[in-house]
Amino acid sequence: MPPKAKKGPSDKAKGGEDEREDPLQAVILADPFETRFSPLTLERPRCLLPLANTPLIEYTFEFLANAGVEEVFVYCGAHREQVEEYIKASKWSAVSSPFSKLELIRSTSHSIGDAMRDLDARGLLVGDFLMVYGDVVSNLPLESALAMHRARRAKDKNAIMTMVLREAGTHHRTKAQGISPIFVIDPTKDRCLHFEQMPNKEQTHYLSIDPELLSDNQELEIRQDLIDCGIDICTPDVLALWSDNFDFQAPRKGFLHSVLKDYELNGKTIHTHIVTDHYAARVRNLHAYNSVSKDILSRWAYPLCPDSNLLQGQSYRLQKGNIYKEEGVVLARDCVIRPKTVIGRGTSIGEGSIISNSIIGRNCYIGRDVKIEGAYIWDYATIGDGCDVKQAIIADEAAIGNKCTVEPGAVISYGVKIGQGMTIRGDRRITRAKRRKEDGEDIITGEPNIAIVGEKGDGFEYQDPESEDEDEVVDGLVPGGPLYTMANLSLSVESISTLNSDIEDDEDDYHPQRSAAGSFVSIGSTDSHASEHAANFDHDAAASIYDSLVEGHESANVQLELTSLRMSTNASEHQVRRAVVVAFVKRIAQLMKAGTSVRDAVAQVFGQHKELLDRTMFDKDLSGKVDQVDFMLLLQADLARKENGDIILLSAATKLVEMDVIEEEGMQQWWADVKSCEAEEMKRVREKTQQLIDFLEQSSEEESSEEEDEDEDEEDDSE
Amino acid sequence: MPQGAVAATPGLQSFIKSLKSTPVEPSIEHLISLLKRRQIRSSRPCAIATAALLLRVVGEVRGRDAGKLLRRIREVGKRLTAAQPREVVVGNIVRRVLGLVREVTEDNADTDTNANSEMSHSFHAQHDSLHRPQLSSSISTFSPLKNAVTEPLDTNLHQSDISESAEPAKRPSLQTSHTSYAQSTPMIGSLFGLFSHPDTPSTASTPTGFQSPAGKDSSITALNLDRLADLSTSKVDLKAEVLDGIRELQDELEQSDDLIAANALDHIHSNEIILTHTASTTVQKFLLAAARKRKFTVVHAEAYPNDHTATHATVLTGKKRYDENDDAEDQWKPLTAAGITVVLIPDSHVFAIMSRVNKVILATHTVLANGGLVAAAGAHMIAKAAKVHQTPVVVVSGVYKLSPVYPFDVDELIEYGDAGNIVPYEDGDFVDKVDVDNPLYDYVPADLVDLYITNLGGHAPSYLYRIVADHYRAEDITL
Repeated sequence: MPPKAKKGPSDKAKGGEDEREDPLQAVILADPFETRFSPLTLERPRCLLPLANTPLIEYTFEFLANAGVEEVFVYCGAHREQVEEYIKASKWSAVSSPFSKLELIRSTSHSIGDAMRDLDARGLLVGDFLMVYGDVVSNLPLESALAMHRARRAKDKNAIMTMVLREAGTHHRTKAQGISPIFVIDPTKDRCLHFEQMPNKEQTHYLSIDPELLSDNQELEIRQDLIDCGIDICTPDVLALWSDNFDFQAPRKGFLHSVLKDYELNGKTIHTHIVTDHYAARVRNLHAYNSVSKDILSRWAYPLCPDSNLLQGQSYRLQKGNIYKEEGVVLARDCVIRPKTVIGRGTSIGEGSIISNSIIGRNCYIGRDVKIEGAYIWDYATIGDGCDVKQAIIADEAAIGNKCTVEPGAVISYGVKIGQGMTIRGDRRITRAKRRKEDGEDIITGEPNIAIVGEKGDGFEYQDPESEDEDEVVDGLVPGGPLYTMANLSLSVESISTLNSDIEDDEDDYHPQRSAAGSFVSIGSTDSHASEHAANFDHDAAASIYDSLVEGHESANVQLELTSLRMSTNASEHQVRRAVVVAFVKRIAQLMKAGTSVRDAVAQVFGQHKELLDRTMFDKDLSGKVDQVDFMLLLQADLARKENGDIILLSAATKLVEMDVIEEEGMQQWWADVKSCEAEEMKRVREKTQQLIDFLEQSSEEESSEEEDEDEDEEDDSE
Repeated sequence: MPQGAVAATPGLQSFIKSLKSTPVEPSIEHLISLLKRRQIRSSRPCAIATAALLLRVVGEVRGRDAGKLLRRIREVGKRLTAAQPREVVVGNIVRRVLGLVREVTEDNADTDTNANSEMSHSFHAQHDSLHRPQLSSSISTFSPLKNAVTEPLDTNLHQSDISESAEPAKRPSLQTSHTSYAQSTPMIGSLFGLFSHPDTPSTASTPTGFQSPAGKDSSITALNLDRLADLSTSKVDLKAEVLDGIRELQDELEQSDDLIAANALDHIHSNEIILTHTASTTVQKFLLAAARKRKFTVVHAEAYPNDHTATHATVLTGKKRYDENDDAEDQWKPLTAAGITVVLIPDSHVFAIMSRVNKVILATHTVLANGGLVAAAGAHMIAKAAKVHQTPVVVVSGVYKLSPVYPFDVDELIEYGDAGNIVPYEDGDFVDKVDVDNPLYDYVPADLVDLYITNLGGHAPSYLYRIVADHYRAEDITL
């Protein structure tokens, strides 16, 4: 397509030189790095799941083509190869594609934040761009939103982002159910001032707003009635902000929330464009899958309807009552097709079956006297005679035996076989795949669980690694009560962790301390969201130190890296120490596994990095050795769960005293600290260190002036 | 957009623009996706886009093989109509072009016959039988002389092509080739010519006999003999003729509104009350043409919910706000500026006001072969109300909207649109519990329409089949 820039030269002059002739670019985040569609996403990427028998990403592409986007970058996460293959074969990469450029970006990102930072590093985006997810369904023309965005940009360089939001009343099936996003908006400037995600639970109907917002703005709108369809018009500054903040992971909860809070700091404003017509929604979870499917069938998303036959080779036709049938459907004479149903090619439906409100894919076989209501049955599925299926998802090639009942909310994944006469409870999610399919390798199938799938069945119940997630997904298909927990929020952060799980476990133990440290920092600095960043700092810092230890970097370099990381996330001293401890202990454990003796391992790890350790504690001259105690506590806690933790603790403590990293007073204060002997585990791990303490006490009593010499002797004695 | 929206939503304009720079195959795909996405919609843009695309397609086809050309156009047409079967106009244009190709080939066959006739007259009869009745209305710029000069032929080639691609070619002809020449002579200019002389017999029906065949024959053969050696030009000619024909078709698309408007004074009289519906350009031009000479009152039903914004804009400014044709010449004034009283009413008031209305003028989406029409939703109700009050219903429509499709299944022709136009999507309870149908079109049966005004003049609904027969070949009706 030629550039369709039809703007006059006068406009350009107004709009500033840098805005001219930029083709409209878009980034599709094909993988939102969530597990809400598990186990369906174990074998197929989310963006290729069929919505009304058309892969989700088609809708996104249609939307972009509709909006006149010219260059598209697709960010793949899991199942990259499948996405690539699909896009290569699709019309979007053909010559006739409305996009002049369609590029797939491979990256090893594990969160949206990583993806954005990666994108910034690549420098592909030249001007304003659209950021959407691979699951957006919308028929919205973006002209006015873009025009307003540009107008704001021309006036104020700091208007970096415009979010497109759809108004949707107080109750709406397509709105996010578990957590409502809350936007505080200045209606005079369409500026978003505050953002929060509020769980839909009875007890937490509070929103905390900065009092300054109330005094600074004449008018405020606090809106909860908006569908956040994840369509953002961004400027390159947005990417820069992502890069500046290592810890942003989620675009709304992380990025938006923080940027708005830090308005004083960075001066960036984010605006909203609220539309009251056209359709815009995201298929963010199974519940949304259900409601968006319904919207599409009821033609709310027109012209994105099955009978538009978006995909090549589709031949859906609309019949009265929103029944969409493709050519080549075989219907028995007395089966009943009720309204709002889609039936794909090659599907046959047996006598006496009743289908209503359902979407059935291609080449399915549905037996006699089957009742299907509100179900989503994908391609090549088989449903035996006399079954009763309600509001469930039955994925490709799944087979359900005769006289089964599938209760509302069940998800039956690819290739699962259910034996005769079984009842699948609504909270079950049955799969054959053990874990996410990596590129190229075959699916690893688990042992069938006969109790669930019955005789001759295949499949087992899917256990979500993040158990908190479960109730959300179950809630997914069946519109039940709001069962959500706040845990779903943190999920996106946690599930992406690539690091040893030690850190997370640790987090729980020390949570009170951590948040205290966080709030302390927030008082000290303008940064008030330090605690939020903490977890990310822990990951990054510990990982980077650990890597340096393995590769044997100079202490000074490690120090430098750590400092920069600390600065960028405004982490507390406590966190730095934590990161150091975690990394050191991990390294020691690794060395020991490799056959090194405890002493050597400790000597090797601690000995080389005296400088680094010194820089984590700043209380040498004080009488109360708070930092040193803290360090020791962290070490103790970390070792409490390690094998041979007590031995390591002893030799580490000895080494530290020997190196004079921890002073004797520090050691003794630690020993006396309540926290170090509170829990059973903590007590156990420090038992062996008793000898060191005893010795230290003796020596300090005898000759308090010659500590150093004593230390050396004492070390020999103690071991 | 005031601030220069860089990324305009793709549509007819961007398509026409891109057509010049993009190769044919991607252009076809492009149009298909635009049609599917409804970015090109309603009859005129569809017709314009299709004609422009076919111009490219024909221009790209290599070789002199008419059969190949036909197959190619047919194939493209099939894909386009499959993309959006309810935009019947796309199929119409494709059929018109197919007819064009057939006509050119058959004409070639004629000249060839003439050339051969000198050598063996026995051949003549055979050729005539191959030749279907001439549809001179589609190609009106033919003069026998030009024809003869520019069309030397490869007989065998064309014969085989015709017999392979057009089965009904064996049908006995009603007239000889000479008549068609003679007949087309007075019709230089436009299609309108044909119907402005109602005496001119429809070629399909009555042969007019021979008009000095001898004299013509001799001159043609003399010229032809010279050309017979030079066969290479023939392919250029086939294509050039077809391309000319398509351009003419494009002209027709452009002019049809004006030609229709030319009839306005015959139908609208002073002090009448005219009821119309939707923001149709054709109707507006029609009324404006009448408004130059006469004073009357227009009652405008607003066509809620799918077309009301455009209707309001038309009433206020005389122009749909987002009209595709943004040229300066299209800047016409609203009816009110011409001194016409315009009353905008909701659709629900149509029946109440119908008793006072003298004439209903309807725009249309498609006219079907049986005289029925598919028009914006609400048209059926208006037509029925008019019937009750015995108010004449006049439908204005370009011939390009006239389709050879017979409405066996009316439901198939009706498109259902965005439910959100009727009920706001914000109303969550409603969306969840109520199904909303929003038909974009109505089917109006033929018996509710009194008169069609096309760019060829006025016709009774029962006469439309004749126009269909004149414009489309029987063998093209199913693509």
